[in-house]
Amino acid sequence: MVFIIFIFSACHIDQKPKNELTYWSSNNMQEINFTRYFVNKWNTNHTNNIKFQPIPEGQSSEEVLMAAVVGKTTPDIYANMWQGLVEMYAKSGVLVRLDTINGFVDFIKNRCGDNVLKEITSTDGHIYQIPWKINPIMSVYNKKEMTKIGFQTAPRTYDSFLKAGKKFSKDTNNDGYINQWIGNTSIKNIWYQRLFDFYALYLAASNGGHLIENNKPVFNNKYALEVLTFLQKLYKKQYFAKENNATGSDKFLAGQYATKWTGPWDISYTKKFKPKGFKFGYAPIPVPDSHQGPVFTYADPKNIVIFNTCKKPLKAWEFIKTLISEEGDLKLLSLTEQLPRRQNLEESTLFKDYIKTHPKILPFIKQSNYVYGTDNCELMIEVLSIISDEYEACVVYDKKTPKEALNAAEKAVNILLGNFKSIN
Amino acid sequence: MAKRKFKIGSYLLVSPYVLFFLIFVAFPVFFSFYLTFHKWNVISPMKYSGLYNYEKMLHDHLFYKSLVNTLYFLLIHIPSQLIFSLGIAVILNTKIKFSSFFRAAFFLPVIVSGVVVTIMWQQLYGFNSGLINRLLTDIGLAKIGWLTTENMAMPSIAIMATWKNVGLYIVLFLVGLQTIPKYYYEVADLEGATDWQKFKYITLPAINPTIFMVVIFSTIGGFSLFIEPYVMTGGGPLNSSLSSVLYIYKQAFDFYHMGYAATLGFTFAILIMLVVVLQKRFLEKKY
Repeated sequence: MVFIIFIFSACHIDQKPKNELTYWSSNNMQEINFTRYFVNKWNTNHTNNIKFQPIPEGQSSEEVLMAAVVGKTTPDIYANMWQGLVEMYAKSGVLVRLDTINGFVDFIKNRCGDNVLKEITSTDGHIYQIPWKINPIMSVYNKKEMTKIGFQTAPRTYDSFLKAGKKFSKDTNNDGYINQWIGNTSIKNIWYQRLFDFYALYLAASNGGHLIENNKPVFNNKYALEVLTFLQKLYKKQYFAKENNATGSDKFLAGQYATKWTGPWDISYTKKFKPKGFKFGYAPIPVPDSHQGPVFTYADPKNIVIFNTCKKPLKAWEFIKTLISEEGDLKLLSLTEQLPRRQNLEESTLFKDYIKTHPKILPFIKQSNYVYGTDNCELMIEVLSIISDEYEACVVYDKKTPKEALNAAEKAVNILLGNFKSIN
Repeated sequence: MAKRKFKIGSYLLVSPYVLFFLIFVAFPVFFSFYLTFHKWNVISPMKYSGLYNYEKMLHDHLFYKSLVNTLYFLLIHIPSQLIFSLGIAVILNTKIKFSSFFRAAFFLPVIVSGVVVTIMWQQLYGFNSGLINRLLTDIGLAKIGWLTTENMAMPSIAIMATWKNVGLYIVLFLVGLQTIPKYYYEVADLEGATDWQKFKYITLPAINPTIFMVVIFSTIGGFSLFIEPYVMTGGGPLNSSLSSVLYIYKQAFDFYHMGYAATLGFTFAILIMLVVVLQKRFLEKKY
């Protein structure tokens, strides 16, 4: 009997006050501080209180969100949703159509520009996400080591990158094994790792091209071919280390890697852990030698969504507007070192002082004009997973030619999207 | 009347377990079976898909690959687990110095978190900076791509899993060994039996139930191989360490194919059951 009473008492439903909105943020300390600042500010001036909590602990935030959707315990607002997942949630009908809110489109257009508006528009023509922050992927390079081999910055083209690789990658202790490399990427066959190597380079080569368009793969093209050929050469010639990053110390800080591809989160990390006298800089990722125009990269965008369990979406939007206001964006940059998805960041007078005192962020701010997130495809994770399978076979283990890998990936994605369409 | 009251009391006493069983065992099993005939990504409503998931499974080369990988792992893991745990248990059962210390030392990896052990071994296995490869080059041997070559990834994982679990089986064997009456060996000594003969004709038959238990535990534990490839290799290189459970996990929590993952899970559970039944019949016949 005691057990039954215990069960029923455990099933107590946590009813929130009528005027309260719940907000889940990511659970890193910087974002918690950022959110707390704006929630406190809002709560002192409004009757509709925001109840804030970092997303509950789980294997991944996606799993926690899914569990919340099933249990109908989703927050009203969730910040930090990966752009590639939004389409799936939107198609499932669990997100609020934001373009139906009066003034929403104009606000976003004014803050982010037309291209971003187009990028976040779902395949059904509606908008379900608020573009919030980005972490553009760039090359970080060891200034001393690059100067030693005759480069003033990270190599900008495939040819110069390979030349730098030839000069830098060597066996320094004569044990018969290379022990310093021009760079490395994760060799683990995990879909999201490809966002930071293949996909970023593909966007750079193709001036922000697509992987999927109109539910069809469009990546089997000369740009992807150039990217795979370039990456395959790096591994084949042992200019990139064939090892998982998790093993051993940080090889970039130890001077064993001369470059790596990373985002602005790297600035504070490198500053904190760099050895004495270590100098580093940031540059755009390499592009094919024939490339013309600006160099695009992967934005690693994280956006804000309102779940349809929200009783007061307009109030939620009012609150979100404070987060993505100019003040909010400056706070985001200064507290988290992540870039707001706002156009003309460099020109804005508001950010000038911050940039002046934090010059390392400037290359990322310049880069933020040329970034792209992901295509709106419900099966984006699986598409990236297929590409990752072929990447591993071609680039890391040289089992397929770049063309064979692309053909196989295209065929598999066609089957995937075709099957998905037929069963729905 | 008194008899009836007693019956209700009994039901009440077993009700916590029955409730627990219904909620956490029976319902998930039936729900999973129901899921095998549906397409469901958790957040959208379920759609009936008939036998689509089963048909997909039959044509899925990664499903077969993951099965072969898991069986390959078991082929290395079970014998090595048996040989090492029995061998060490036999040594620890003799009057050696510091035997309590060694028993504790061998058991230590069992209580350490699987993820911690896996990360530690990942460092040891590193190609360029791993301690094992450094030792190999120090004695003039070539480095080995423990986790970065197709033919070495699964054996490397099996070595690590054996190291992690061997302590538990040592304890089981020690219990088995200590139940063997000493006079069996005394009689054998009088008959002039060698150590090997004593081991073969007394020890082995006497601990047969423990061997059977270790084989079954290792099989079920080995079939559920997940953390090690998930953390160390992600299933690579080229899917050579993709275990069945890791593949099911990927389908469920990377791609949100809950119906398909349930189908794989059900099929896999039936296969485990078949293997265990076969093992039981074989071992019972043999001894």
